[in-house]
Amino acid sequence: MAEFSTAIIEKDNVSVINLKGYLDAHTAPALEENFTQLIDNKRFKIVVNFEELAYISSAGLGVFMAYIENIRENKGDIKLTTMSDKVYNIFDLLGFPLLYEIFKTEDEAINKFKESTN
Amino acid sequence: MSTTTANIFKNSQFQLFLLSALTLFLFKVFFGNSDSTTLIVILDLLIALTIFFLVLSIYNYFNKKDFTPLSFIMNVGILNAFIFFIISFADIIMSVLFDNVNERLNSPGLVYNFVSVLYILLIISFLAYVILALRQLHFFGQSKNLKVYFNTMLVFILLASASAHFSDSKEYSFISDTFFILSVLLILFNSVKISWIAFLVKKEKIYLLILSIVITVLFIINFSSNTGTNIHSQMLGTFSPALKQFTSITMLYGAIYFTMLFFTTLFHLPTAEAYDRKAEEVSSLQYFSKLITQVLDFNDLAETVTDITLRVCHADASWIIWKNKDDDEFVSIANKNIGFIDSGIINKFILSKSDWETFGETKFYQLKKNESSIKTEKNFNWIAVSPLKARGEIKGILAAARIEDRNFNNEDKKAIATFSDYASVSIENSRLLEESIEKERLEKELDVAREIQKKILPEKNPDYKGLEISSVFIPAFEVGGDYYDFFPISETKLGFVIADVSGKGISAAFIMAEVKGIFESLSKTIEQPKEILIKANQILINALDSKTFVSAAYGLIDLEKEKLFLARAGHCPVLLLRKESVEKIKPSGLGLGLSDTDYFEQTLDEMNVDLIENDTIVLYTDGITEAKNDSLDDFGENYFTEILVENNETSAHELAKRVIKEVTLFSKDHSQYDDITLVILKWKQKIKINGEKEWQNSAPQL
Repeated sequence: MAEFSTAIIEKDNVSVINLKGYLDAHTAPALEENFTQLIDNKRFKIVVNFEELAYISSAGLGVFMAYIENIRENKGDIKLTTMSDKVYNIFDLLGFPLLYEIFKTEDEAINKFKESTN
Repeated sequence: MSTTTANIFKNSQFQLFLLSALTLFLFKVFFGNSDSTTLIVILDLLIALTIFFLVLSIYNYFNKKDFTPLSFIMNVGILNAFIFFIISFADIIMSVLFDNVNERLNSPGLVYNFVSVLYILLIISFLAYVILALRQLHFFGQSKNLKVYFNTMLVFILLASASAHFSDSKEYSFISDTFFILSVLLILFNSVKISWIAFLVKKEKIYLLILSIVITVLFIINFSSNTGTNIHSQMLGTFSPALKQFTSITMLYGAIYFTMLFFTTLFHLPTAEAYDRKAEEVSSLQYFSKLITQVLDFNDLAETVTDITLRVCHADASWIIWKNKDDDEFVSIANKNIGFIDSGIINKFILSKSDWETFGETKFYQLKKNESSIKTEKNFNWIAVSPLKARGEIKGILAAARIEDRNFNNEDKKAIATFSDYASVSIENSRLLEESIEKERLEKELDVAREIQKKILPEKNPDYKGLEISSVFIPAFEVGGDYYDFFPISETKLGFVIADVSGKGISAAFIMAEVKGIFESLSKTIEQPKEILIKANQILINALDSKTFVSAAYGLIDLEKEKLFLARAGHCPVLLLRKESVEKIKPSGLGLGLSDTDYFEQTLDEMNVDLIENDTIVLYTDGITEAKNDSLDDFGENYFTEILVENNETSAHELAKRVIKEVTLFSKDHSQYDDITLVILKWKQKIKINGEKEWQNSAPQL
């Protein structure tokens, strides 16, 4: 349907995945690959930045569910940040705020990781 | 070049030649011109051996270089001219070296013997080269084995030479004559079919015409000096009458062959270009058209490709080197006349010579070279390889091989190069066809998915007195996994569900079927929406993979108590349209299949609403709110509720119709991406406790 791209940036020992465009059943494999790669490299502290994400479908939400168990077992976490109201709404409907920590800014999420390690 | 020359001397056959030449010299010194039959036989055998070893050495040299017919002919011409000069100057040189040459012939001294053996060796070398060159020319361009004819002729030439000893006697001269005539007949027979001329271009044919006439003349002159009374003829005659006869017949062979060559070339000349083009076109059209019909199955195609390669370039074996998709191993497929072990050995050799990724054009290799000989069971020698490309990417390599000394000629080389191009196109076609079949298969699969979905959804809405029920479902091309259903519990109680499976296509359709089964069975034993969703989650958390989940809202309308009970598992809120306002009923709750039972239960709430007359309950999936126009704006919740409020006076059926009309209008320039589901329940009238019922409207059907 439309374009989707990701970029991983390392910040203070936390991996930040920036999402851009439309995340749906067709583009989800690209994000899955990112998660697999991070897990293979034992990078379990992950922040996902939704600032430039225009749309997420249910299949896109499924990606986060697929890896969270493995990541939490390894004392890591996926934290979500900077969602537009529209994207937050979709997460909220499904009850994702009950399963994930969602922050207003990327720094807050990274700081949360720092606190927990101290 | 210097290394190959060095190799010749190291070569055991050349050493044997030198040894036999030395023996020949010693023999002449010790026995001279004896009349003893035994000695004559031994001498002839020695000469024959010397020629044989020399032929073998030259033969090895031929194999190491890529000779063309024209280069052979040029060499024969040069040698002929050289021999012509030797014969012409023999008289002068010999008379300078020796006082009385004629006397020497009968009583040779050491020096004379040495000189004569050298002279004989010179003649022998010439003969060996000419015989071999004629043999190579004979086999050029011949597709099948013609060795029998050639070897028979050689045998008769040898017999004719050996019987030359009888030519002086009156009684037995017929033997020698008979063999001589037979040899000439066989020579004629072997010289008529010169097929390789057809493969030469016009310029080469003209060049060949001039060369062949010159060489014919030289052969005739050399032949006639053999029978004259000059020193050359006498020296040969006294050395060995058999050798003299052999020389004569060889010269004659040369003369005949090159005369034939001259005329054949002459006849080919006018039609040279046209013939070339026609021959190429005919064989190409015939073979290549076969390929086009063979694109349905890749394996069939590969078999046809190698089969045709075999014929197009007269190869002894053909196969395709293919890179296995799964493990990147190189394998041989569609092998023709070659075992997998042999092709494996050759594949390794080819891949060691050239890089797979940059394998650009047709290449030729020789396996049997002195330094690094590649041995195969079937003794393959010449290899031609050409890339099979699709969309500029190398998919495989087409290989052809020949046994022994038959190298690929220019025509064969051109043929394999052209053919691999055609084969590439066919392989690409076959791939495209496979893709379109795959696409068709996917479409069929989606048809099946839509069919499943249609069967899962309720055929008609239930009839409840005092309750209007309307439902609309519009499937997306890729089945979106929407599901709704009604569960009549009693005359006054109706359970209903709306759900959306994450993901699309046939897998979503199957999960829908599973979800339907779960809700259908749970609704028979449990009434409370919260309990039903907890149980449903418990089943689905184990049944679904970790990235799949189902959003659902389950409700129960109790017409007697005038109440709506509702629990929501991650689904869009249920809307309550009451007079001019729309209330979102959105109790907390996670999607089904996201979390284990305890946490799911902890976070799940149930809400109940006291219904009043004309309350409208609207259930929907995100296919409505996320419907898009051409600038990718969402239809949105606000617009949705606006339409609901505007039409709150109408029946459930009419309301549903208006909403769908607006959604359709809004997204008319954008394809429908997700399923659209809309269920509307409108409560018209309360049911009296005493059981007497009144109603105004019956529920309309959509």
